[in-house]
Amino acid sequence: MRKALLITLILAATVVTALVAAPLFRAPSSPVTFSQAASMMTTTAVGVSLLFVWIITSVVVTLMSGREVRYSSIEVRTSPLHCFALGLVAVTSFVLTAILFSYLIPFLVGIPLLVALGVFAVLTKVYGTIAVFHAIGTIVAGTRSRHAMLQRRWLRGDLAMVLVGVVLLGAIRLIPVLGLIVWSIASVFGIGTALATKFGRREPWFLLFRPAES
Amino acid sequence: MNESCQRFAEDPEANAAHLRECEKCRALYGELPTHAINVEALPLAPWEGATYRSWPLVIGVALAVLAIALALCVAAGITPLVAMMIAAQTQISRAALVYEKLRTFGPLVYGFLFIIVNSILVLLLRRAPRGIDA
Repeated sequence: MRKALLITLILAATVVTALVAAPLFRAPSSPVTFSQAASMMTTTAVGVSLLFVWIITSVVVTLMSGREVRYSSIEVRTSPLHCFALGLVAVTSFVLTAILFSYLIPFLVGIPLLVALGVFAVLTKVYGTIAVFHAIGTIVAGTRSRHAMLQRRWLRGDLAMVLVGVVLLGAIRLIPVLGLIVWSIASVFGIGTALATKFGRREPWFLLFRPAES
Repeated sequence: MNESCQRFAEDPEANAAHLRECEKCRALYGELPTHAINVEALPLAPWEGATYRSWPLVIGVALAVLAIALALCVAAGITPLVAMMIAAQTQISRAALVYEKLRTFGPLVYGFLFIIVNSILVLLLRRAPRGIDA
């Protein structure tokens, strides 16, 4: 049943990709110039090159902190709404903080603050997106029973799940317009889950103040 | 605790008759379910088999994507390094565009929004993660 669903999903995604790439109902009067075709080829080349960089980054991060990525992936699957809300608020906060810090550039302190914010934002986005790759990989190709898991030769473990997720999302990313929207939503989910789990460490961000009992 | 009590504690299914004879054990274990647990029937935990590293899959997929990327770069007449630079420039120009559009409101508006948005962020961050406890 799951295999049939997976095949149907892949076929549907292929049809959608084909329709978007070469629409059936495009008017014959709209010509595709050579420069447009070259631009499209360059965009695809940039997209696939970025996908390769994402694969290498995902593999390195998963090897370095697989347990943390797994915990964040579980979080995004168990409370997706909270992760999405947190991600949206965090992205807004990053943008507002960056604009506010930019007003401090004339006082010199603004530049290191902006650099620190940029590094934190990029790290959060990269880590969170890898957690989302793991979540998507587990939803699409994860096993439900030990027997099925042990029967698999290659398609098991954190590394394989992350790889399935990155290839699937990377393929969707190549679709014009839709790919950008899907990738942006995945990034919001990723930033949300990275912050919700404190980068997979599941520690509280703030310590609760409790007065000493007499 | 005598010897038969010990045997019952070690294997409750094989020594089920002991529960009817011993008052102490009935008080201790009477309410507890003593049937054996079928591990196969339990749901698969997220950590089970998670550390398995399927290197053939990783190397195969990475090489396939690299080959496609190189072929597309050759077809487009650019090097992979130039492709990376184009991607970085696109991101930077997009961020600059957003910044230029948003910066028109002035520092006071942003100061006010900064406090409100970050207050909501702190409230959302106070919630403990559910994850493995769900």
